[in-house]
Amino acid sequence: MWATLGIFIVAILIFMAEAPSLLINKSKRELWVFSVLLVIGVGLSITRGLNVSIPNPLDLLIIVYKPLSDLLTALLNS
Amino acid sequence: MENKKIDLPQFTILVTLITVGDSILVLPAIPAALAKQDAWLSAILGLLIGLFVVYLLGTVGKLYPHLTLVEYNEKILGKWPGIVVSILFIFYPLLSVAAHVREIGDFTTTHIMTNTPVLMVNLIFVVIIVMGARLGIEVIARSGEIFFFFFTILFVVFVIALVPLIDLENVKPILEGGIKPVINGAFTVVAFPFMELLVFLMVLPYVNHQKKIRKSFLIGSLCGGLVLVIIIAFTILILGYDLTQRSFYPTFALAKMIRIGDFLERIEVILAVMWILTTYYKITFYFYILNLAIAQIVRIKEYKVLLYPMGMIITVLSIVISPNAAYFNDTISKYWPFYDSTFGVFLPLLLLTVAFIRKKHEKIGYN
Repeated sequence: MWATLGIFIVAILIFMAEAPSLLINKSKRELWVFSVLLVIGVGLSITRGLNVSIPNPLDLLIIVYKPLSDLLTALLNS
Repeated sequence: MENKKIDLPQFTILVTLITVGDSILVLPAIPAALAKQDAWLSAILGLLIGLFVVYLLGTVGKLYPHLTLVEYNEKILGKWPGIVVSILFIFYPLLSVAAHVREIGDFTTTHIMTNTPVLMVNLIFVVIIVMGARLGIEVIARSGEIFFFFFTILFVVFVIALVPLIDLENVKPILEGGIKPVINGAFTVVAFPFMELLVFLMVLPYVNHQKKIRKSFLIGSLCGGLVLVIIIAFTILILGYDLTQRSFYPTFALAKMIRIGDFLERIEVILAVMWILTTYYKITFYFYILNLAIAQIVRIKEYKVLLYPMGMIITVLSIVISPNAAYFNDTISKYWPFYDSTFGVFLPLLLLTVAFIRKKHEKIGYN
């Protein structure tokens, strides 16, 4: 609960720090990208703050490179 | 493109600092586990191959000296394939930064501040990374010059203090298991310091004196590589391969052995300072590259607006990326080198080949 509240406060501070100058300059694209990333960041932080497990990107790395790694081990350890 | 310029000496120093990076602390354990007492041979072999990799990267940088990697991806591979490659590429600095922040956090909470939660250390570190990246590449390069001076002094002191402890018995017998383990150990020595330098392809347009870049690139990585060869050789010569492969942080164990006379002991914090310094530069630089790459893919002018949200994402990712130390070490030593070589060798080769074929076709077209 406290974690979620804290993250929201941080997110609002970040938004207040960046968004006004973007609005004044009418840089729409910047504002979009910034908002999308902020939403992803806040989403991830809250999920983590509530102790929900997030999939580990390194697991994907292992799936992709396991055949190559096994091949190298077989080549150099025979 | 923004009007930022860094000088050649600054560029060289930045390359050296980033080559040393976090490798100074965590690298020696991996070749020691694979090549045993011949790990120092792996280090030398790795340095030689590593210089070839850097030469390859320098050659790719020469294709379009005024564009960054993300920009000439689209130019060489075509618009949409280029964008796909670029999007795959941004995950590389993203995961790297998260993994390195976690390394800092793990090290600090196991050796220095043992009762602090790892999230807090990571969070504080991410804050200073965001501050560094916000100031831009010029400031990163200039401050690198100042800190490089301190790093050199600390490193020389470190080496002089360790020389009396060398025991040559530790490297015998040489080539006991033949050449294969040496090659196996050399792979990580090439991957971690040298292939990871590919991120420099993103800043080459900002360097003055375009023609001499490849040379400075090679000199910088050679200096950094020599530091690593010395460190790996010392861990084997002083600790022996068994102790080296068992420690998470072999260089730190090495530093604990330093005693000067009978009055100056436990100065291993010198090493921690060196390590945190070089790793800070590596992470900040990667983080800068990450935001620059995203900004160039989505075509916005200012990368700075992305920094705070990305900082949040990195903080969470740095916690998620490692459920425990065993999983993390296993993944980093077994699979990460392949990830490095995908972007550090395969992608440059692909770009060179396609650019070469394109040039040939254009020539035929003109005739």
